[in-house]
Amino acid sequence: MEKARSVLYKAIIPAAVVIVTIFGVGAYGRNGESLNGKRADVIMIDALKIFGKLDRPAVEFLHDTHTKALEKAKKDCTACHLPEKDRLSTKYQRLSDVSKKQSMDIYHARCIECHKESLTSGEKSGPVTCGGCHKGKPGTASVREPAGFDKSLHFRHTKSLDNKCELCHHEYDDQSKKLFYAKGKEGTCRYCHKEAAQENRISYRQAAHSGCIDCHRKTIASGEKSGPLLCSGCHDPKQSALVEKVKNTPRMKRNQPDVVLIKTGKDEIQPETRMNFTPFDHKAHEDYNDTCRVCHHKEMGSCNKCHTVPGSKDGKGVSLENAMHQMDSSRSCKGCHEKQKSDKKCMGCHSLIPKTNKDENSCLKCHAKPPKDAMLPILPEQEPLFAKALLDSRRPMITSFSEQMLKEVPEKVTIKVLSNQYEPSEFPHRKIAQTLLKNISTNKLAGVFHKDEFSICQGCHHNSPASLKPPKCQSCHNKPFNEKNPMVPGLLGAYHQQCMGCHKAMEMESPMGCTECHKEKK
Amino acid sequence: MSEKTISVNKFLTPFNLVAGIILLIGAVITVLRFTQGLAGVTNLSDSNPWGIWIGFDLLCGVALAAGGFVTSAAVYIFGMKKYHSAVRPAILTGFLGYALVVFALHYDVGRPWRLPYPFIVQPGTTSLLFEVGACVALYLTVLFIEFTPAAMEWLGLKKARNIVVRLTLLLTIFGVVLSTLHQSSLGALFLIAPSKLHPLWYSTYLPVYFFVSSIIAGLSMVIFESTLSHHYFKDKMDNTHLTENTDVTLGFGKAASLVLAGYFSIKMVGIAASDNWHYLSTGYGLWFLLELLGFVALPCFMYAVGVRDRNVTLIRWTSVVAILGVVLNRFNVSLIAFNWHLPSSERYFPHWMEIMTSVFIVTIGILVFRFIVTKMPILYAHPDYKETH
Amino acid sequence: MTLTRRRFLGWMSAAGASTLLGSSANAASSASFKGFPGSFAVLHDITLCVGCRVCEAACNKVNELPLPDKPFKDLTVLNEKRRTNAKAFTVVNRFENEQNPKNPVFAKKQCNHCLEPACASACFVKAFQKTPEGSVVYDHTVCVGCRYCMIACPFNIPAYEYDNPLTPRIMKCTFCHPRILQGLVPGCVEACPKEALSFGKRKDILSLARERIRKNPERYIDHIYGETEMGGTSWLYIAGNSFKQAGMREDLGVTPAPELTAGALGAVPLVVGLWPVLLTGIYAINQRKEKINAEEKRIAVAEAIERTHAQEKQKLASAMEKAGKDAQKEKDLAIKQAVKKALEEAQQGKTEEATDV
Repeated sequence: MEKARSVLYKAIIPAAVVIVTIFGVGAYGRNGESLNGKRADVIMIDALKIFGKLDRPAVEFLHDTHTKALEKAKKDCTACHLPEKDRLSTKYQRLSDVSKKQSMDIYHARCIECHKESLTSGEKSGPVTCGGCHKGKPGTASVREPAGFDKSLHFRHTKSLDNKCELCHHEYDDQSKKLFYAKGKEGTCRYCHKEAAQENRISYRQAAHSGCIDCHRKTIASGEKSGPLLCSGCHDPKQSALVEKVKNTPRMKRNQPDVVLIKTGKDEIQPETRMNFTPFDHKAHEDYNDTCRVCHHKEMGSCNKCHTVPGSKDGKGVSLENAMHQMDSSRSCKGCHEKQKSDKKCMGCHSLIPKTNKDENSCLKCHAKPPKDAMLPILPEQEPLFAKALLDSRRPMITSFSEQMLKEVPEKVTIKVLSNQYEPSEFPHRKIAQTLLKNISTNKLAGVFHKDEFSICQGCHHNSPASLKPPKCQSCHNKPFNEKNPMVPGLLGAYHQQCMGCHKAMEMESPMGCTECHKEKK
Repeated sequence: MSEKTISVNKFLTPFNLVAGIILLIGAVITVLRFTQGLAGVTNLSDSNPWGIWIGFDLLCGVALAAGGFVTSAAVYIFGMKKYHSAVRPAILTGFLGYALVVFALHYDVGRPWRLPYPFIVQPGTTSLLFEVGACVALYLTVLFIEFTPAAMEWLGLKKARNIVVRLTLLLTIFGVVLSTLHQSSLGALFLIAPSKLHPLWYSTYLPVYFFVSSIIAGLSMVIFESTLSHHYFKDKMDNTHLTENTDVTLGFGKAASLVLAGYFSIKMVGIAASDNWHYLSTGYGLWFLLELLGFVALPCFMYAVGVRDRNVTLIRWTSVVAILGVVLNRFNVSLIAFNWHLPSSERYFPHWMEIMTSVFIVTIGILVFRFIVTKMPILYAHPDYKETH
Repeated sequence: MTLTRRRFLGWMSAAGASTLLGSSANAASSASFKGFPGSFAVLHDITLCVGCRVCEAACNKVNELPLPDKPFKDLTVLNEKRRTNAKAFTVVNRFENEQNPKNPVFAKKQCNHCLEPACASACFVKAFQKTPEGSVVYDHTVCVGCRYCMIACPFNIPAYEYDNPLTPRIMKCTFCHPRILQGLVPGCVEACPKEALSFGKRKDILSLARERIRKNPERYIDHIYGETEMGGTSWLYIAGNSFKQAGMREDLGVTPAPELTAGALGAVPLVVGLWPVLLTGIYAINQRKEKINAEEKRIAVAEAIERTHAQEKQKLASAMEKAGKDAQKEKDLAIKQAVKKALEEAQQGKTEEATDV
């Protein structure tokens, strides 16, 4: 007995050593959390939330997996979604949530029943135990992106629906409490269908899903080509990129103006204290963008309706000035124009120029001076003409150096800063200036802002007035780390930051290394 | 002539042979260490400045030598006279343990002859290592004085011996204070590196953990060491030692079980205080659970069962588990969970010569212990002083 | 021995006192300690670094370090992640740029010269010192070589001469302290052709960093690394994406290293003060208990003895009495028997007489 025990102990110890080693090796290898993949069809079923706190964690439901499985089993959407009026309900196996128990029972009974059925028929199936569905944390990362309905899609829909706008667009009549179609008053769905459902309006999300998918489903059923049925078709960025795009779509007809005169506020502002009116080429901007939403919010009215000069509640306190000039907004003029500068052709100079809202030179580019013979104030009926005239006065120009200037611009500049270590650097000054000019020649925005041929010089010769004989770099950049002027780099730093910063921003392959600019000393 | 051959034969036991080989290898490594530097004999790197010479020789050495202060405190301060026979062996192990720690440090630090510099040239009092160094140096002195009566009895220095014995209480209290300080500050050494030590092991309670677990190590070492002595030096033990041995094992086993239970709960408090539960499901979490359940909770339970059933064998085996647990903890804090952020290619694994050096030092310890035990009244009371203990 | 101990005790109490005072002073001041006034700092603008390794070469030259196997112009070394070592006080590493793979991120690594350095707080011979100029300098003449500074450094900077058997030193960037004292800027800063490193008073350097971020909000993330990390450092960094991307730890927190150990050091005087009192108390209680036990035992023994005495006496007495009684009884019995016998005899005589008749 005693002996047996000691043998047992002797066996335990090596076993313990082995376990310790295994655990130790395990501890060395770090385990990262890995998700099954990225999908656009992840729906967290938490429908019972409307009845209070959930007893069990929400269920991760992969919608496309189910759609495909049902298709394979020769079933369609009605296997899960019940018909409601002429469409299918977006809820699962019910039209409305009556009680917590009832809704819960529907999920439990029907889900498990179907899973069991497919299990018995030997198919790949879903969980049938509580923990199998109520897992707590999702195993899949969602890459769901909002689906966009751009002008290309709109064009394709109008075309295939024979211009029957009433199939999608409708208005609501308060008196008869019915939907009706009003020709010429078509707006976007977002006019009425908000984020959350309201009294007599379903949410935007539900409107889109029941409207779009139901139509796609019926069209497919009738044997015709139609849009996506799967979640990924619209919401997976990879899939939605495959959707056919029509270029040069005809202008959408909604009585929008060609040119808008952006007035600084209403009449109460005295003419002599306000900025010049800005002509806005509405027609051209329609071409630049895919949807109206890029600039307009949910409604297609004019900006200063809500964005008043001092700001108003309707405009969420954003003043007219901010609405037009806010740098970090993609809706504002300036914000969008700033974004255009991220083209690598522009970035060479613009990545090094601090972004500021207070560039006096550029104000007048938009707030064009009215022609001298203009009669102010302008009568409303004269506005379109006046706007057109203003716009014409600031058409973009393609800038180029005159013969005279080309002579003045040095062809090469020799830089000897590092000549103690390298051969002096030969800087192809004129070639660079001409390349920059060429780069802006194809850009309409640049054509407006770089009308002045010196503006291109100011990319490098900054902080001094435009001139044919700008000050030498050394005038400002000399010894580094000047306590009086810490923001100004020394000469060495200034050259390298400017040259290499520009090359890097323009994604140039060369010159990059040291010896491509400075030849090795022999 | 014939007598000589007999003594040579007597000396050539397998144990001595192995020990001799180890000493030889140790000597070679020593030469290498002091001619080629640490790079020649260790796998230490700039990212892993401390290896097993610190993790095992210093951290485990000091923890396992805690038997001295635990036993002397139990007997002299808490008045548990029935464990009296355990005091001398415990103090001897403690003394040898600390002496070897200091000896081992001579290999690890860059310029060992400067070890007294913190005390005589420029004390860096903001350093916890200063506290460790100061207390270890001082405690080594205390242990030496506590040990001298045995040597003096052997050498027959009656008067000196009696003077020292009168200091027993003072020395014991001093020993407990110093042990509390340096056992805890060994843990506190790592407080300065929260970014390097895994959160499951890093805690502001680290000094408390180290102190409490050193008591476990001390108690378990006394049990373990008495087992070995009982086995190998039975002929050296007198009746009192033989009969009290069971008492010591049962009593210390009970104490260890209680301390382990306390240690377990403060470890849990530590996790709760910094809300580190979510780490438990990771690889390091499992490793941590293994340490906590397999080497703290399990020995706690085993000790308790052993004491209840008066199963001395079980308690003795448990002491091995508990000691391994403390060693594992020190390894985790100083090596395994330290630098856990580094990619595995930059992690440290000891060079065989580092391991050999540690084996070499332990062997020296065993040899010196054997020498002293066979010569001096450690496991038996000196006949002249039987009544005076 | 005694001398050492006495001296040590003096230090211990001094240390105890200083930690007590120190920790309270720390608690009051550490949150607002911004380094020595007028101390210097460097701003490393990570967006400007192009990984040319000129700073490494300059550092190597200034500090008279051995030349590496591969020349500094060889940029293939950027393919591996390097750290500072005994032969290189500064290294530049290249990191992937997730946002823009074409533009990798380069970042220079060297001692950050903390305002409250972990290495200095960890050193038990005070070999490290934070100078008023801002540099953290190391004195190899007192260093024991314990390498605790390397454990303590949150940035993994100090390196060690592992191949030096007898006189190994800790090796790390000195912020070119001798050059600063001469009015020069550190070697790496002077050499950087892109001026990705800017040198100046820490106060000015901080505002320079803030100004750059303010003027180019899309170029930088709004954080100055080192302004508060580990209580603040004399090397500051600004970056385009994240500091993690540039191989820097973003989870270090703002607690200066000395504060991390202040609690444990503060416990020293407590232990030194409380333990002896407590232990002596326990000892005294145990002694007293023993004494009481002994006394009680003595009394009990005495009582027991007395009790036995008394019992014995009583026993004796009763025995005596009994003996007396017995004697009487015997006597009586004897008389009775004698009388009886006599009577019987007399009776017998009478019957005999009667039968005779």
